[in-house]
Amino acid sequence: MAAKNHAQWLSEPKLKANEWVDSRIYSDPQIYEEEIEKIFSKTWIPVCHESELPKAYDFRTMSIAREPVIVCRGPDNEVRAFLNVCPHRGMIIERRPAGSFLEGQPSGNPKRMTCMFHAWQYDMRGNCVYISREKEGFQDRLCKEDVGLRRLRCEVKFGGFVWVNLDDNPKVSLEDWAAPAFGCLRKTLDAEPLEVFHYHKAIVNANYKLWHDTNCEFYHDFMHYHNRVTGFNDAYFARKNESFEHGHIVVGTFEVNYEKYEGFDSRAALSFPHLPPNQWYMIDMFPGMNFNLRGSALRCDIVTPLGPDKVMIEFRGLGLKRDTSEERQTRINHHNSIWGPFGRNLHEDLIGVQGQGTTMQTGSEPRRILHGRHENQTIHDENGMRHYYEEWGRWMNRMPNHPEQPYAEAVSVAAE
Amino acid sequence: MDVYALVRDAVYRSSLLLDRQDWDGWLSLCDEKFQYAIRAWSPEINKDLTYLAHDLKGLASMIKLLPKHNTDHSPLTRHTSLYTVDVDEAAQSAKAISSVVVFQNLLDGINSHIDAGESRLFLVGKYIDTLKVDGGKASFLSREVRIENRRLDKGSHWPI
Ligand code: FES
Ligand SMILES: [Fe+2]
Repeated sequence: MAAKNHAQWLSEPKLKANEWVDSRIYSDPQIYEEEIEKIFSKTWIPVCHESELPKAYDFRTMSIAREPVIVCRGPDNEVRAFLNVCPHRGMIIERRPAGSFLEGQPSGNPKRMTCMFHAWQYDMRGNCVYISREKEGFQDRLCKEDVGLRRLRCEVKFGGFVWVNLDDNPKVSLEDWAAPAFGCLRKTLDAEPLEVFHYHKAIVNANYKLWHDTNCEFYHDFMHYHNRVTGFNDAYFARKNESFEHGHIVVGTFEVNYEKYEGFDSRAALSFPHLPPNQWYMIDMFPGMNFNLRGSALRCDIVTPLGPDKVMIEFRGLGLKRDTSEERQTRINHHNSIWGPFGRNLHEDLIGVQGQGTTMQTGSEPRRILHGRHENQTIHDENGMRHYYEEWGRWMNRMPNHPEQPYAEAVSVAAE
Repeated sequence: MDVYALVRDAVYRSSLLLDRQDWDGWLSLCDEKFQYAIRAWSPEINKDLTYLAHDLKGLASMIKLLPKHNTDHSPLTRHTSLYTVDVDEAAQSAKAISSVVVFQNLLDGINSHIDAGESRLFLVGKYIDTLKVDGGKASFLSREVRIENRRLDKGSHWPI
């Protein structure tokens, strides 16, 4: 059909209900608030990697669903998570992104988390251990034991990532939630300690799901010159796009021919443990985390939604902790030539998602976003996105293609 | 011409060539042993980061492929101030440190209708250059672009 008039443009596509979504799921403030409450406040988020707090008393801060979070390593080597909120008058306790509590602060002592405002102090287990002028002010009405920090569910798992859940009683354990999807890489990631070597972040004006969609679909290889010229062969098109319970998907591996692309070397010598050379696995976790192991480097994306049409994405790159400095530098170069902020692919991915965000600003006319490609559940099939939105519909009790309607299981799910 | 003047001219000329996206012109100021890197310190992970690193050959092949990539069209403008030049007469080399602030002059932005024409701060950092000074000519042996930023949003395909 030629270009469309308004009514034609607004009419529904001749596709099944689960093969398209309404753009309001990417822009509606009410839906966004519900996602914060129903999804991000209740699911497992990999907030950082344990190598970012290698020593006792090291800490990292972050936020989940607007709640400030602090992760610290105790003298017993345990990593624990707490709300980074002082129970006295609500000051954020630690303001830096990372550091060590071994040094004292102007308001407090070493080995304590100290709230700078009135100098209340907490130990690495979240116990309040000091209230300034406690007896004088509270007499016996309130004491240290009454005002510990809010502790959060926290586990170090799947290659040393630190997973936190704001929900004290998660619907499903981290193990049951993530283990099947991590199956293809678990032995590799748990073989020996990993270490983060890369960090940067992007804030883009687009919904967080649009970033995850881009990670879930490989059809956009047409946007990446490098992927197109190196990737498009029979083995590439045979890569499976496999769905797992809880909305996760995994893109199966194939052997990448790095020699075919000018400026690249084989990554075989720096393969991760238990993997044949130059493999490429991708694990996309609901609601927006991505683990991408490509030959010599593991990339991890964590999304933090900042609004209906605004998201922060944190990018990490990881290698093996035992790397020599030469090996490490080679891994870094492999990682960053494609995925760094000046790399070939990432700039294109971010322009792509920003461009979608531009057409789907809050208040823009609702339109239909198509996820209807079927290619035998291989790499250019859009079954990954369809699988994701089934899960999203269940958590939100909204139909992705008619968000004003309650969720109903799609008939075609079994076929996926 | 004195060594300081040769070094100063090379640093400023490189900024003009990079602003013009005359990549070959820029590479012609570089020695064949040239090493380029964009680095930053991350307090988040307590590590020194290398965001991009290439030798001359790697840079040349990266530059050759730039037209094949989808890139933000917004030009970058470098504001460079040469701070110090330390000359090693015996080694016929010099180390130059410059402050550099890079603005992105939006053509694309988020919505070009609204953003085009605006200039936004893109990067803050330093050029740490070493140059070979020989036969009345200064050529770059290395350039480290040491940036303060870890938030880089869309990023860039272009050398800084
Ligand atoms: S607000 Fe933290 S000690 Fe008062
Ligand atoms: Fe991509």
